Amino acid sequence: MSDSGPTPDQRLTLARLADVLVAEGLGMPAASAVGVADGLLDRCLDAAPALAEPLLALLDEVPADDLDAFVRGLAARRPDDFAILTTTVVGAYYLSAEVRELIGYPGQQPSPLSAAAEPEYFEMLERVYDRHPGYRECP
Amino acid sequence: MMTQRRQSDALIVGAGASGAVAAARLAAAGFEVVCLEQGDWTGPADYMSDRPEAELAWVERWSPDPNVRRGPADYPLTGEADVRPVMYNGVGGGLVQWAAMWQPLLASDFRVRTLDGVSDDWPIGWSDLAAPYGRVAREMSVSGLGGDPALPELDPYPNPPIPIGRIGLAAARGMDRLGWHWWPGANAIASRRHRSLQACQRRGTCMLGCPENAKATPSLTHWPAALAAGAQLVTGARVAQIPLDERGRARGAVYVDRDGVERLEPAQVVILAANAVGTARLLLLSASPRFPDGLANSSGLVGRRLMQHPYRTVAAVCEDPLDSWQGPWGQSIYSLEFAETHPDRDFVRGAKWMVMPHGGPMFAVAEYQEAHRHEDFETLWGPSFHRAAAEVFGHAFTWGIQAEDLPEDHNRVVLDPAVCDSSGLPAAQIEYTVSDNTRRMLDFNVARAVEAAEAAGAVSTYVRDIWPTGIGHVLGTTRMGDDPQGSVVDRWCRAHDVANLYMIDGGVFVTGGSANPTATIMANARRVVDHMIEARASQEVPA
Repeated sequence: MSDSGPTPDQRLTLARLADVLVAEGLGMPAASAVGVADGLLDRCLDAAPALAEPLLALLDEVPADDLDAFVRGLAARRPDDFAILTTTVVGAYYLSAEVRELIGYPGQQPSPLSAAAEPEYFEMLERVYDRHPGYRECP
Repeated sequence: MMTQRRQSDALIVGAGASGAVAAARLAAAGFEVVCLEQGDWTGPADYMSDRPEAELAWVERWSPDPNVRRGPADYPLTGEADVRPVMYNGVGGGLVQWAAMWQPLLASDFRVRTLDGVSDDWPIGWSDLAAPYGRVAREMSVSGLGGDPALPELDPYPNPPIPIGRIGLAAARGMDRLGWHWWPGANAIASRRHRSLQACQRRGTCMLGCPENAKATPSLTHWPAALAAGAQLVTGARVAQIPLDERGRARGAVYVDRDGVERLEPAQVVILAANAVGTARLLLLSASPRFPDGLANSSGLVGRRLMQHPYRTVAAVCEDPLDSWQGPWGQSIYSLEFAETHPDRDFVRGAKWMVMPHGGPMFAVAEYQEAHRHEDFETLWGPSFHRAAAEVFGHAFTWGIQAEDLPEDHNRVVLDPAVCDSSGLPAAQIEYTVSDNTRRMLDFNVARAVEAAEAAGAVSTYVRDIWPTGIGHVLGTTRMGDDPQGSVVDRWCRAHDVANLYMIDGGVFVTGGSANPTATIMANARRVVDHMIEARASQEVPA
């Protein structure tokens, strides 16, 4: 990432590209609506700094119109660049607290182990033991 | 100018799984031990796993692929390979990032030639590793359930199994309906506080570093004891060569330190524990007039017979919520139903299966997208993007299918003629193709795993082709054997060609089995080092 980070124009371009990839639908907001090109982008690039340089270079070549065709062209012919774009957009999108709440994702939180609900598997395990021929004997 | 220290009893190259076992055991037995490790310590301060950005750690900093991660200790892996190895270079080695699945080999894995007429038998058998398996399982605080009828009897694991969770129960019900083998997974993850480990908190970021210190890694399980017993661990030390004395004994190791200074670390015995790629690379780097094709390579087998466990996955998408972002990301349950050769199948040997979580939303969607990458743009993106997350996230579990790839001479590690690491040493070039036998094996097993997923109640499934980057299992490049013309090390993992040079990582595997190899790597290291201690008086040493 450059010292100053993405420019306003680059953020605007990313927001428009991101909405081609992650549009509003199925009760979920579009990417730009949750700030994928704003603070979430900064968090994403802070976590994965190697994305920044190729991403910003890619944003600088995006035409003013027909973004849809541009994104489809990346998907069809430039898989590495498409991966940079989609990793950034999807990664930033799922950092959104609003999105996480909508899909029921609390994050990778600690949750103590509990075996309370599991005795039922011992019956199944007994059947494994009963039907298994035993390990292959070796000379 | 090269600087030199005084001679130690044993010099270990690599502070990972096998090196840590050796250091702790030898130091406890009174040996003066020095270990050279090209990487550094990694600990909770380095982890991203307790941050909301944890899933983005995979993209770069915690990628298992050294070519992506590009850490200061990583050396490039080049070449055209169907499967490119992955590894971690640092204290703990691959166990910094491993999923901690603890799986002994099958008894038959040691007798593949005798039983199935392919490849070679090991010079040792299952019984030679039975006791060491138990010892290292205790050191690693393994949680598991004994009694699996598919395996010979093992010592009881020190901790009860980790609950198999919703994903394991769903998968087990499917296997039960089909009458197929399954068993609760054993993992080097503590189900309760044990020795140096805390109890697992199911965070699900095992491969990104466990911030609770519930996952066994040598920096917790072995190095504290080794250091307390007097072992010296030198980090930032990239070994460049194993020099010989005039009688052909290893003198120690030449390494490049953090400042680029070349140093000689002299020792009576040299033990290579740098993984099957790193050890082969170092032997090739150590070519000399006495060994023009690489140190200890009179057999021509150094670097050859590379095995990697080609890997495919089947995702089972269920209607009921499975909370499948929760961990641990070890094996919930495993199956050895198709691990043995069967006369009705068009391949020999088999695959091990294991059930794992399906990750957070970024991982789950990425898996879905990869499996469906040939579909139309409209199917995967735009308004449809959310369909993958809605259907898959939290509702899927993964059957991982790990194939036994038989050793083939043309699958190998060589030195790259052009690309070097940051110390100017040639990179490891990987030449590796997946055999037809392995492809048929994976096709068969994937088809069965789809059946198992459907029997578990999956409303849909999707499969991934062979992963182009490996799963961290590198084996076979310095195989053991009784015949010096057909193997690199003997049954005690001492080089046939160099009387005080040992190799104790996965390179010594004769065949790979289908089991996750760490249990066997560590058990074999323990077996070898115990023998070194017993045979100390007769050990040849350099002049």
